[in-house]
Amino acid sequence: MQDVVNQVINTSFGWGWPSWAIALIGYLIVAALLFGIAPFQMLFLTLYERRAIARMQDRIGPNRVGPEGMFQPLADGVKIFTKEDIVPTAADQWVHFIAPCVVVAPTMFMFAVLPWGPGMVPVDMNLGLLFFFAISSVSAVGLMMAGWASSNKFALVGAMRAVAQMVSYEIPAVLSLLAIVLVTGSLSIVELINYQGGLFISTRDVASVPDWGLGWFIFSPVGFLAFIAFFIAALAEGERTPFDIPEADSEIVAGYMTEYSGMKFGLFYLAQYVLNFLLCAITSIIFFGGWQGPGVGWLYAQAITPVNPQGGWVFNVLAGVLGVFYFLTKTYGFFFVMVWIRGAYARLRIDQLMDFGWKFLIPLTLVNIFSAAIWVGLTKWGAADGLAFVEGWSPLVRWAAAFGVTLALNLGAYLFLARIFAQSQDERARQDDDVLEQLTNVA
Amino acid sequence: MLKTEELQINIGPQHPSTHGVFRMLVTVDGETVTDLKPVFGYLHRNHEQIAEVNTYLQNMPYTDRLDYFNAMANNHAYAMAVEKLVGIEVPERAEYIRVLMVELTRILNHAGALGFLINDMGAWQTQLAFGMREREKILDLFESVSGARLMCNYFRFGGVARDLTADFMPRLKDLLVAMPAFIDEMERLLRENEILLQRSEGIGILPKDLALAYSVTGPVLRGSGVAYDIRRAEPYSIYDRLDFDVPVGSVGDVYDRILVRIEEMRQSKRIIEQVIAQLPDAQGGHINPKARQNVRPPVGDVYARVETPKGELGFYLVSDGSSRPYRYKVRAPSFINLTPLGDMCRGYKVADMVVILGSIDIVMGEVDR
Amino acid sequence: MTTETQHGSVIVMDRRRGKLRAGQGLLQGLRVVWDHWAGSFRKNDNFSKIHGTFTVEYPEERLPMPQAYRNMPVLLFDDESGHELCTGCYQCQRICPPQVIHITQAKDPVTGKMVPAATEFIIEYDACMSCGFCAEVCPFDSIKMDHVYELSTANRASLTMRKAQLNRSISYYTGIAPGLWAEVQAGAMKKLQGSIKRRPDVIGLAASLTEKIKARRLELAAAAAAAPAAAAVSAPAAPAAPAAKLTPEEKAAKLAAMKAANANKGAAPAPAEAPVALSPADAKAAKLAAIKAANANKGAAPAPAEAPVALSPADAKAAKLAAIKAANAAKQAEAAPVSVETAVATAPLDAKAARLAAIKAANAAKLAAEQGNNE
Repeated sequence: MQDVVNQVINTSFGWGWPSWAIALIGYLIVAALLFGIAPFQMLFLTLYERRAIARMQDRIGPNRVGPEGMFQPLADGVKIFTKEDIVPTAADQWVHFIAPCVVVAPTMFMFAVLPWGPGMVPVDMNLGLLFFFAISSVSAVGLMMAGWASSNKFALVGAMRAVAQMVSYEIPAVLSLLAIVLVTGSLSIVELINYQGGLFISTRDVASVPDWGLGWFIFSPVGFLAFIAFFIAALAEGERTPFDIPEADSEIVAGYMTEYSGMKFGLFYLAQYVLNFLLCAITSIIFFGGWQGPGVGWLYAQAITPVNPQGGWVFNVLAGVLGVFYFLTKTYGFFFVMVWIRGAYARLRIDQLMDFGWKFLIPLTLVNIFSAAIWVGLTKWGAADGLAFVEGWSPLVRWAAAFGVTLALNLGAYLFLARIFAQSQDERARQDDDVLEQLTNVA
Repeated sequence: MLKTEELQINIGPQHPSTHGVFRMLVTVDGETVTDLKPVFGYLHRNHEQIAEVNTYLQNMPYTDRLDYFNAMANNHAYAMAVEKLVGIEVPERAEYIRVLMVELTRILNHAGALGFLINDMGAWQTQLAFGMREREKILDLFESVSGARLMCNYFRFGGVARDLTADFMPRLKDLLVAMPAFIDEMERLLRENEILLQRSEGIGILPKDLALAYSVTGPVLRGSGVAYDIRRAEPYSIYDRLDFDVPVGSVGDVYDRILVRIEEMRQSKRIIEQVIAQLPDAQGGHINPKARQNVRPPVGDVYARVETPKGELGFYLVSDGSSRPYRYKVRAPSFINLTPLGDMCRGYKVADMVVILGSIDIVMGEVDR
Repeated sequence: MTTETQHGSVIVMDRRRGKLRAGQGLLQGLRVVWDHWAGSFRKNDNFSKIHGTFTVEYPEERLPMPQAYRNMPVLLFDDESGHELCTGCYQCQRICPPQVIHITQAKDPVTGKMVPAATEFIIEYDACMSCGFCAEVCPFDSIKMDHVYELSTANRASLTMRKAQLNRSISYYTGIAPGLWAEVQAGAMKKLQGSIKRRPDVIGLAASLTEKIKARRLELAAAAAAAPAAAAVSAPAAPAAPAAKLTPEEKAAKLAAMKAANANKGAAPAPAEAPVALSPADAKAAKLAAIKAANANKGAAPAPAEAPVALSPADAKAAKLAAIKAANAAKQAEAAPVSVETAVATAPLDAKAARLAAIKAANAAKLAAEQGNNE
């Protein structure tokens, strides 16, 4: 954005403004845009989810308000705005009031490092990925505040569950990303996307591969396993089925939101759906190349960039449109997967969720980090780094060797861990049986 | 270890998953249930006393409202009780129609019950929606013969209110074409799903001896491994002519109850197919023309029971020779199956408690009466 | 516990233990849901399919009701003769489980004997349980179950249905359940002919028809009586009035009535200006007349007639009110001459009062006519 602003103000008008003014204007415009886009995403996603899940259940879904139910979210919004805001007398008024804001704010911050298209990133932070996940953890504080301030048993239990779940699923999420970071060698999200040019094989691994923008991480065993682990963790982060335990309606009514009504409840919903959007977006960015896709790289090469100031602005627009199209398609695709999973599965129990996270996902992601190290060694290192035997292999052979080794390692680890995990579950069940036997003997 | 304090939570009477106005006073230690007290009576409608001021026939529509999922099965039990008391013969054709309706009821009840159970586990209505689709088809059939979808009021003393309509059989056959696909699909969704296995295996175990001690019936009892089905143990109506298996579980947990219900739907379908084959040869009409509806039974008492989808539904009637029952007592399966809830839940988590309640498959209309 | 039974056996469900569970079940679940999603772009209108949307978009689309469908009971009447099939035999009232049917049997006004018809037939729809016993038990096939199911209302009292609201023609019923009617038609019509023979006058006719017949009869009678009444108006002191002279008090009463009527033409608050200086005797007369005039109009406007009765005769205000009410009632009645006719008919009771009533009614009629012309 700053390139464009700079281009307009300093090159076209020749005003010669200082760079901090340019940056400020650029950030303000972007922030304004994003604050408009975020709630819009939430509105769209609610409709999208309801329509998609209705189809999975042989229904039609909301189709009354506007053509094909287009204005249904607006009607819901109006309803939620006009609802009475009830604060329980026993509640801690201030904390109860602030909690929804604390939950919503981090989701807005997370947009700061989200690239929408080539060159379309609000801030290209070199710690972007870290920032994204660090900020997302802040909302756990808000959830705890909400649950505690409501002075409701269900809310408290819900908040406890939410915090436990978010904290423990941060770990597999970050560990699975760590594998990717090992491969790219950078925490910058933009760099991560740039790495994914190519065709099934990244151009950074094998330079001779044509750049069709399809060198996604998902096509490597390391990336694939990281994707599975990350997506599961993302479901838990975003409190989606089968991990929607904090707000399990059949158990604890609505979890930490039980005592909220009106727009405060709406804010929790907003935060949740925006977070879901962001998680889908980051999944598509990390594993599916974000805006990468056939044509975008070529178009962007012709556009006005710091590297290529003589480009045509038309290509900027074209690359942007195509990039955003690819990015949103992937993102909504992942949201569809979330909805799909919601349509198919029941939810886990909180202790099972913890079991799954700590006993299955974390070992799996640790193994994956090991695989990533092997990958990096086989594709990038040479004699200087102590890997003399790869000297003389062509990049493609090195890539193939890395692929084979990591695939075998990851698949073996997955099956082994699945077996171990199943056994541990059986053991649990047996323990439960023993408990029951004692109890029934008493009775 | 940290010293923790026990917390009392009221689940219900206003709660999304208590299947009506039902309250569970739960004492939890963390998330583990240490004690559970079922509290009911919120839906008490004075059913049995109302029945004593009504004539025998007037009670028929009231039985619909006991277990509103299975109006036909309730009708059957009540009609059987009065027929036994008065000594009314039921024509063969009427018996076949009755069995047909009751078995359809069983399918629709299990389809709904499984759906609600999975909903309690946290699924977002999908399995329920599939079950409800089949249920709607069956209800369409009920509507075409009896005039109402839920409150059928279809059975009369000595037969049924109306004969099957001309379009009933073709529609039923269409329905049976879809039925195996539906049951298979349900099985694919429920049987091997890892999440579901985690939630149901080893959860809510009701040991065989405890189940017998609590006089539990229906799929809950069979899930605990007791092959007791009134249709087999004491064949009534024409069940002795029909060929069907009785599925039983081996452990007695929620998973076994799910498996038993799925298999019972299959067996019901099998029974319906046999009924369709045998119905054209059945003697008599849809109702015994000599049977009077405003009965005045001789002095005496009677207990008649049937295997409804939820278990043994029995009616105990005492006649003093007048046109109104002197005493009218319902042995409601939901109510009796609910009594071991405390023992089934103790030691499990709060989330399991909801699932165990769902697996019992209660209808509050029957529990509170 | 028996493991082998006569037909079929006991099967122990296979729990499939020992199989490696590595997510195949989850994928299977996703597959099932995907199939439904993919299939949902077609409509499922067939019982034998499990894919495709099966939603009926209710207000626009409606499912066809099976003939046997039962919602709320209605009463049938014959289209040709207009006679109701109901004979008021109380069978339905007796069998109704929630006891929501209330019947009043008709009596011959001359002989006082029971007539096979119901003068009033009330069903409390709000408590009806739609069991269909009333329709089943009815020996005259008069009570049948309707197919209308959109009965929601905010007003519970409106769900107490009287006979006029329950009446449906046989042609309506054959429209919704032709097969069921064909089964019983012959017997029902034969029984109806039998009961028609025993019904005098308008008894047993459908409520809407009775209203029409009554109105028509009154109209005819009014036409006959219109001439003398008009004469009385045009010449107040003429031979038409039996009393020789008008006393001042009577004049005042008349004035009050006229004023009231006039005021009513404009707006409601106006009547306050009507004179209150009436002697008790005259007031009584005026009130009586007013009541009579109002009574005559009861058919069309029943409410106003009741209020004046409660007032004390000595009260001048009451007279005023009564007069206003009467005028109001007369105005409300579309066919003003009717009131004239009935007022004249009830004259023997009190000549003075009758004359007053006639005048007032005629005035009101005139006003109404004027209004009609103005508009």
